Amino acid sequence: MAAAGIKLHPACRVRQEEFGLLFYDSRGPRLLFAETGNLLAPDYFEVVRSKGELPDGLNSHQKRVVDNFVNQLLERGYLREQ
Amino acid sequence: MSNKFVEQGLRSPVNLTWEVSLACNLRCSHCLSASGEPAQDEMTTAEALDLIEQLYEARVFQINFGGGEPFMRPDFEQILDACHARGIMTCISTNGTLLDAARVERLAATRLVAIQVSMDGAKRETCDAIRGEGVYDKAIAALKLLAKTHIPSSINTVLTAQNADEIEDLHALAKELGVALRVSRFRPSGRGADNWQSLKPSAEQLLGFSDWLAQSGEVRTGDSFFSLTSQERQGLGLNLCGAAKLTCCVGPTGNMYPCAFLQTERFKAGSLRESSFQEIWDSSEIYESFRNLRIHSCEECQRFDQCHGGCPAVAWHLKNDISEGDPECLERCVTSIADAKKTDAA
Repeated sequence: MAAAGIKLHPACRVRQEEFGLLFYDSRGPRLLFAETGNLLAPDYFEVVRSKGELPDGLNSHQKRVVDNFVNQLLERGYLREQ
Repeated sequence: MSNKFVEQGLRSPVNLTWEVSLACNLRCSHCLSASGEPAQDEMTTAEALDLIEQLYEARVFQINFGGGEPFMRPDFEQILDACHARGIMTCISTNGTLLDAARVERLAATRLVAIQVSMDGAKRETCDAIRGEGVYDKAIAALKLLAKTHIPSSINTVLTAQNADEIEDLHALAKELGVALRVSRFRPSGRGADNWQSLKPSAEQLLGFSDWLAQSGEVRTGDSFFSLTSQERQGLGLNLCGAAKLTCCVGPTGNMYPCAFLQTERFKAGSLRESSFQEIWDSSEIYESFRNLRIHSCEECQRFDQCHGGCPAVAWHLKNDISEGDPECLERCVTSIADAKKTDAA
């Protein structure tokens, strides 16, 4: 079955910090400090999104940055395909 | 682990240790909090549930429950349910004696709990000498029940002089049972202070353990052994003390401390009966002092980047000064063995 979208892995959590987003993976446990500033809110990851679906209001450079970041999160297991 | 972000200060801890009760049905000789009878005026159910709401608001990711034996609290499962309802992950450190099939089944209904069962020896006699007669068999029975579920479970062993030679066998036992092995550092607090001389691992044992750990990547140590871990394990855990930066401790009566091993009046950061969790995290002078703590005497050490001076709690209990370097770090183990050899030779 094809993946419907991506979402935060159930073993992971994310919250906003001054520098950006702090991810926690309870399986390690491990932490990921992401200097994303205000580009992405934590709740972006808490619902299923289709791959490539980005927040409104980003310019083309920001879209590329966020898209790469989301792909990295997927590769590193913080997000998973649903 | 990047220190830059930690040093900037986080809005709340990543996780915290919550010692929900001092009540315990065992009297382990190394117990960090000298548990047995409940503390006077422990937090009520209503206070505990209110704290969970505060931790949810603060976006604390995980609560590590300890004690005492957490299951001695009649409302402990209610406390767990409240955490899970808010999506807060939990890890329970238990002696395993109060885990039966029905309770394990209830715990398995959530995907948010992990359980560590304490065992202090691969041999029954080693474990029971520390934890009490019959405890080894009860812990094994609990681990077998847990292994049948999806609950991430582990044996948690405190490294002592008595069991240092059994760690490899404990690892094999954990594999046989289908659970993980986690090894914790023995620190001289609670009854551990009373029995420090008889239970503390020797420098040779600590070095041997460090070598073994370097080859045993799947063995977990929490934040216990950053003072000892080799380069190979960097990245598997912390390279500095996380107290008041990444973690903190809530005691049974609602007092907050930097860590579970410093639950004394001297290190009380505040009381949840007088201030909110966030106020204490943001404004406590004790926490500020830990955030600014620099172990200058260790800065010239070749391993400074790997441990930043080690565990302040051990330095406090053994030297009465948190700004002294960890007396049991890898470098000091090597030096003490070399000194002993020189003395023998002379």
